[in-house]
Amino acid sequence: MHVVHLALKDLKLLFRNRMAAFFILGFPVMMGLFFGMMMSGMSSGKRGKMEIAVIDQDNSRISARFIEALRKNENINVIADELEHAKESVRKAQRTGLLVIPNGFGETAGFMWELQPEIELGMDPSRSAEGAMLQGFIMQATGELIGERFNHPQDFLPHISKAKEALMTSNTDNLLMKQVGGAFFDSLSHMIESADKWQRQAGTNPDNQPTSMHFANVKSLDISRHIDPSSAEAQTKKIRTRWDISFPQAMLWGVLGSIAGFSASIARERTSGTLVRLQSSPLSRMHIMLGKALACFLAVILVISVMLVIGLFLGMRPTSFTKLAAASGCTAICFVGIMLTISVLGKTEQGVEGVGWSINMVMAMLGGCMIPVMFMPAVFQKLSVFSPIRWSILSIEGAIWRDFSWSELALPFTIMLVVGIVGFGIGTSILVRRTTV
Amino acid sequence: MRVITVCSLEQSYGSLKAVDGVSFEIPRGQTLGLLGPNGAGKSTTIHALIGLLKPDRGEVRVMGGDPWHAETRRSIGIAPQSLSLYEELTGYENLSFFARTFGLSGGRLRDRVGWSLKFAGLEDRARHRVDTYSGGMKRRLNIAVALVHQPSVLLLDEPTVGVDPQSRNHIFESIAELKNEGLTILYTTHYMEEAARLCDRIAIMDRGKLLALDSVAALIRQHGCASQIVAEIESTPSDVQLPGQLIEGRIQFACDRPLEEVARLSALGVQFQSLQIKGPDLESVFLMLTGRSLRD
Ligand SMILES: Nc1ncnc2c1ncn2[C@@H]1O[C@H](COP(=O)(O)OP(=O)(O)O)[C@@H](O)[C@H]1O
Ligand SMILES: [Mg+2]
Repeated sequence: MHVVHLALKDLKLLFRNRMAAFFILGFPVMMGLFFGMMMSGMSSGKRGKMEIAVIDQDNSRISARFIEALRKNENINVIADELEHAKESVRKAQRTGLLVIPNGFGETAGFMWELQPEIELGMDPSRSAEGAMLQGFIMQATGELIGERFNHPQDFLPHISKAKEALMTSNTDNLLMKQVGGAFFDSLSHMIESADKWQRQAGTNPDNQPTSMHFANVKSLDISRHIDPSSAEAQTKKIRTRWDISFPQAMLWGVLGSIAGFSASIARERTSGTLVRLQSSPLSRMHIMLGKALACFLAVILVISVMLVIGLFLGMRPTSFTKLAAASGCTAICFVGIMLTISVLGKTEQGVEGVGWSINMVMAMLGGCMIPVMFMPAVFQKLSVFSPIRWSILSIEGAIWRDFSWSELALPFTIMLVVGIVGFGIGTSILVRRTTV
Repeated sequence: MRVITVCSLEQSYGSLKAVDGVSFEIPRGQTLGLLGPNGAGKSTTIHALIGLLKPDRGEVRVMGGDPWHAETRRSIGIAPQSLSLYEELTGYENLSFFARTFGLSGGRLRDRVGWSLKFAGLEDRARHRVDTYSGGMKRRLNIAVALVHQPSVLLLDEPTVGVDPQSRNHIFESIAELKNEGLTILYTTHYMEEAARLCDRIAIMDRGKLLALDSVAALIRQHGCASQIVAEIESTPSDVQLPGQLIEGRIQFACDRPLEEVARLSALGVQFQSLQIKGPDLESVFLMLTGRSLRD
């Protein structure tokens, strides 16, 4: 007999019980959709354009080309501005960020071998996630500049002669290298001149040039608009869809439904007499408990997966599936432990169910299953650390939209694993030692 | 060979001594009836035999092993007193799940589940959920589950409680068949007719103690008192003294030689409307041993 068979039997039983199945899947889906729709007012489902103030201190053909490339990007609204005014407007959160194109940008931008001019980028600190995206767009625009350089090959000429001069005047003793290098640069100049001539004659359209090189030097500009990173405003800025908050919550409702169902199922085995049969079979009590634990673990993973699929269908996009899988695993371990502990708090099904749902409700309220923790009053936010649900939601959100690093996930993961192991220990040791049936 | 040995078993729940020094043995192939009223300690004895309870004192052995150890339990099949089935699963699913708990799989699992369904007479309801079954069908399945792994010892704890007469007959016949096939059976009941009909020997139990253990005939010989005469009297000559009190034309009394007594009364001119002579039975044995009726 495999523990798997015990677990499969339990899953079968669970899903044949309509009430339990409703609390595990139906109710959470409803909650997820309901709160998600309510959420639409708070954070628009479709993200607006980034309002970027651009300060062109260079005013060259290249800087104009660069701005034009940025304008073509649908995600950015480019507004020409003065530096001080731009900083002020970012501070006041009227603009998402500002971009300074320095003097001399046109001279070297797009030449990959030259030191790149420093573009200064200042972001509203609460929207730093979009800052990363904007950096990507700057790379793209710079890539177009490289293409632009190839469209105007004569621009290379001064650089080539400068490079040749530098080589000739360098104090190297290697005469051969000087000669070969000189000849190389000469022929390069010659080639570019004739290519340019040929291109003009052929009337090639310079805009069709494919670009693939991405290179830019972006320096962060500190915009000292102080936003408390723990504030709801700062946190919700990373939200990308309205389901980002409601689905992690919904997943936890499903998890609670699972543990309520399973903690009562041990009592049900006792009252329905099937525990007598299990215990009179060659299975050990530990074996029986492991079967329950595995069934509950699988139910939790299943619930989270179903929610995830629905969320994906609605447009939710986790930033990391690996982290989400890890968060789900830790959540499952944590709540299996809690389930086993709840299951020893009563002897009858009704008793366990009553105790189970009271504990669940307290954990749910404190942990942010109803009102997300970040919107709670400060006192409740502090209290929420005692609810495993808070840590579970935090880690799931960390994987879906908070973009947590592994080290940021370490704390919630550790807390969940510890709760799970302790709960497993308490539950099994009491259940295994119970002699009366 | 002794298949079941119970030796000075004591088992308490808190301060209540449910089983108090019970000893008995069952040789291979025999059926022992454990007869006693509710609360006598029959189920507790069975729970010790399947390793659910660890004896406070004394010991139990099944096939020579301690049922506390998993390996010993492989040879035991139990039909608990309360129906022990998953109501949301079908009959088939219940049988195959419990068969797996005993390590059955593959073709053997299918064979045994098929055999058990046939045994329970549930072949056509195999794919229906147990909660759609009648009480009798559930009882039959409860016994079939005990047999699915082909145990060499069968423990039946009041297998006919709450069963309609038809199912009860089916159950009796199938148990008699198992007995003929050589299965060792412990059968607990508080119905003396059942015990008398099925069992080779009967242990009478009350308040945790074993009061007597023997074949039905020997028990009656040792502990059974007189026969009972129950008669409806049509008329009695005025000078004849009846051996019992006449209530609404009926009389009931005990006597050692019932036929002679009836002949004597008849000769004296007593007219009987109906006459019934009951020989001593387990009921009267129990009455003798405890001073109480089995069905209090
Ligand atoms: N789990 C239990 N906890 C406490 N007392 C029990 C328990 N099971 C049985 N008893 C008591 O032990 C005595 C014997 O019960 P039981 O073995 O079930 O009798 P029977 O099966 O002969 O009816 C009864 O008085 C009963 O109330
Ligand atoms: Mg009983």
